[in-house]
Amino acid sequence: MITVAFIGNPNCGKTTLFNAYTGAKLKVANWPGVTVEKVEGSFRFQGEEIRLVDLPGTYSLTSYTMEEQVSRDYILSDEVDVVIDVVDASALERNLYLTLQLLELGKPVVIALNMMDIVEKRGMEIDLHRLPEMLGAPVIPVTARKRRGLEVLMHAVVHHKEQKTPDPLIHDHKYPEHSRHRHNHHSEYAMVYSDEVEDQIDRVEERLRKQYPEAGNLRWSALKLLEEDSTLRERYPEALKGLEDVDLEDRIINEKYDFIEEIVQECLLGKESKAELTDRVDRLLTHRVWSIPIFLCIMAFVFFLTFTVGDFLKGYVEILIDQLNGGVAALLSAAGASDMATSLVCDGIIAGVGGIITFLPNIFILFLALALLEDSGYMSRVAYVMDGIMGRLGLSGRAFIPMLLGFGCTVPAIMASRALENRRDRLKTMLVTPFMSCSARLPIYILFSEIFFPEQAMLAAYSMYLIGILMAILTAFVISRADKVRTENALLIELPEYKIPSGRTVFIYVWEKVKDFLTKAGTTIFVASVVMWALLNFGPSGYTPEMSESFGSMLGRFIVPLFAPIGLGFWQIVVALIAGISAKEVVVSSCAVLFGISNINSVSGMDMLHGELLSIGFGPLNAVCLMVFCLLYVPCAATIMTIRKESGSSRWTVLSVLFQFCTAWVMSFLIYQIGSLLLA
Amino acid sequence: MKLNKGVIGRLYRVEEAALPQSMKRRLAVLGMTNGTDLEVMNNKSGGTMVVKIRGTRFALGRHITENVEVTAL
Repeated sequence: MITVAFIGNPNCGKTTLFNAYTGAKLKVANWPGVTVEKVEGSFRFQGEEIRLVDLPGTYSLTSYTMEEQVSRDYILSDEVDVVIDVVDASALERNLYLTLQLLELGKPVVIALNMMDIVEKRGMEIDLHRLPEMLGAPVIPVTARKRRGLEVLMHAVVHHKEQKTPDPLIHDHKYPEHSRHRHNHHSEYAMVYSDEVEDQIDRVEERLRKQYPEAGNLRWSALKLLEEDSTLRERYPEALKGLEDVDLEDRIINEKYDFIEEIVQECLLGKESKAELTDRVDRLLTHRVWSIPIFLCIMAFVFFLTFTVGDFLKGYVEILIDQLNGGVAALLSAAGASDMATSLVCDGIIAGVGGIITFLPNIFILFLALALLEDSGYMSRVAYVMDGIMGRLGLSGRAFIPMLLGFGCTVPAIMASRALENRRDRLKTMLVTPFMSCSARLPIYILFSEIFFPEQAMLAAYSMYLIGILMAILTAFVISRADKVRTENALLIELPEYKIPSGRTVFIYVWEKVKDFLTKAGTTIFVASVVMWALLNFGPSGYTPEMSESFGSMLGRFIVPLFAPIGLGFWQIVVALIAGISAKEVVVSSCAVLFGISNINSVSGMDMLHGELLSIGFGPLNAVCLMVFCLLYVPCAATIMTIRKESGSSRWTVLSVLFQFCTAWVMSFLIYQIGSLLLA
Repeated sequence: MKLNKGVIGRLYRVEEAALPQSMKRRLAVLGMTNGTDLEVMNNKSGGTMVVKIRGTRFALGRHITENVEVTAL
């Protein structure tokens, strides 16, 4: 088996290329000890089993971020046989910086030159003969989006797995004849520094050899020590004794870029002909006046699609569930099952799990839209567009991306806050992100707004999203005023070329989310439905069809006084809300179980629920309170766990959960009390 | 002059960045070292800008742009 590590700059098309080989059969996990995602896949090529590992996108291999550290350690480990460096040919100059660093690691590297079609479109050419000569590594042109060059690339990988030394290097640094350095490195290494730097490298190498005989990869270690790399300095504390003042970091970076300039001059041919499409599009999308209205329109359109197209598709899923329920009930009674068993299956499992599955189309559309925004390159523009507003809230525009992702699912959104450099900013972003209404809360809005506000259902649901955003903004604003420590929130983000989203990448992204949702329906929601059914059908006297005598009802009644002032003083609702902490959709599936409705999202199911709710005195105002409360209250268990992991602090996690609960309570209280006065 | 006074469509050369070491390092890794040429693509009144460095566009916040010394080319 050959293990191949994929690495490249962000936005270089690495994921598209990776997916082109593995398809949707991915193994997603975390790297040990950190919450950096590790994606793996495998396939057979010419009788060999090839295992692909996707490393996080990164610009360099320093040890300043978790992602870079993980990538570097992994490539240096014995597990990796070959490294594929995915290079965006249309941004050769910047991408080659990582390439030069990779070549210094001493592992076999194969360069996949991606986006060749864009280079051609711009009327430019890359000298594919000269480039490998200068780098000492095979360069394979590919177009991941069109699946071109895939076989050749793997072929090169298989052939280079044993290679320890670079391919023949033919290059001449600008003035090699003037070099006074005692070695001629030009035949050994692609990247050769100036005499002064090379002399220092030699000195440090010499010391490493003497003091740390076990050290491998001497040239790389010496370079990193000279670059003041903290990990290496800790590992070899003696190696720089007396040389502490030598800080060559800037020079090493500069000389790499000097060499890259040489490469680009020699290998990139032709002049850019026309003004690039991206610049023309950006003139509008990042316009100083129009950018924000355009962004709002795009988001409104996304929600419009989520509701209309989602609702259209929903009808078919409902029919399916209805038929399933009828069929299963008939089957069970034919088999002579007991009332209790039939009740468990039909009122518990199918009502709970099935009720949630009908929302799949809405959630599918929402994730599809987010995937398109991300893959087209628009998402990072949003950081630029929002930087002014976010700056006033004491956050950088970059913090808006996790918040936007929060519309999909809070868990990856919290994880995305890692992109912020400053810990205070990260904590602040983590605190406000759960207010961005995630897709799991969507079923609650759809259900209750369609029952109580059938005419303005979409508007009612929209306003929940707006309230969420406003609460997030308000919270960030208050904190930034109260916070004495002024942090410098410097925005620094790449704005990639716009591109037509890759169907495959988008499909795999959405499929992952749909799979997550279905898994959640099959596990969390399944268990919650069964537990809910048990709580509601068993009481002190054993199995009882009379729900008001069940344990669930007793528990609910006990807590009701806390919820009465906010218009949610109904034991059924309280029970549903508690259950909703396991996953927000469970609020809906619990209602289905609580009121014994088999297809809660269908017209008849809604009518039934409407009747049931009215009979206990739950009206439109209570529905608004419920929606607002669900929007703001305690995040789901998975989110709480993620906050704990990302913040590294249990105290902070508890505080933020309490804060959310209190915010929800106060908001619902205000709405209920003021609403009652106005309506009275 | 400081980068945040840069005019859209003009080219500038970076002279000196008066920024914390960690930020300097991040910029350097992205190719913005002293002596690098850049093009101003967009400039909002607040000083948040889009610049093109070595063929790649970056959005830079005000805290960066007002601390980078440049000369017009």
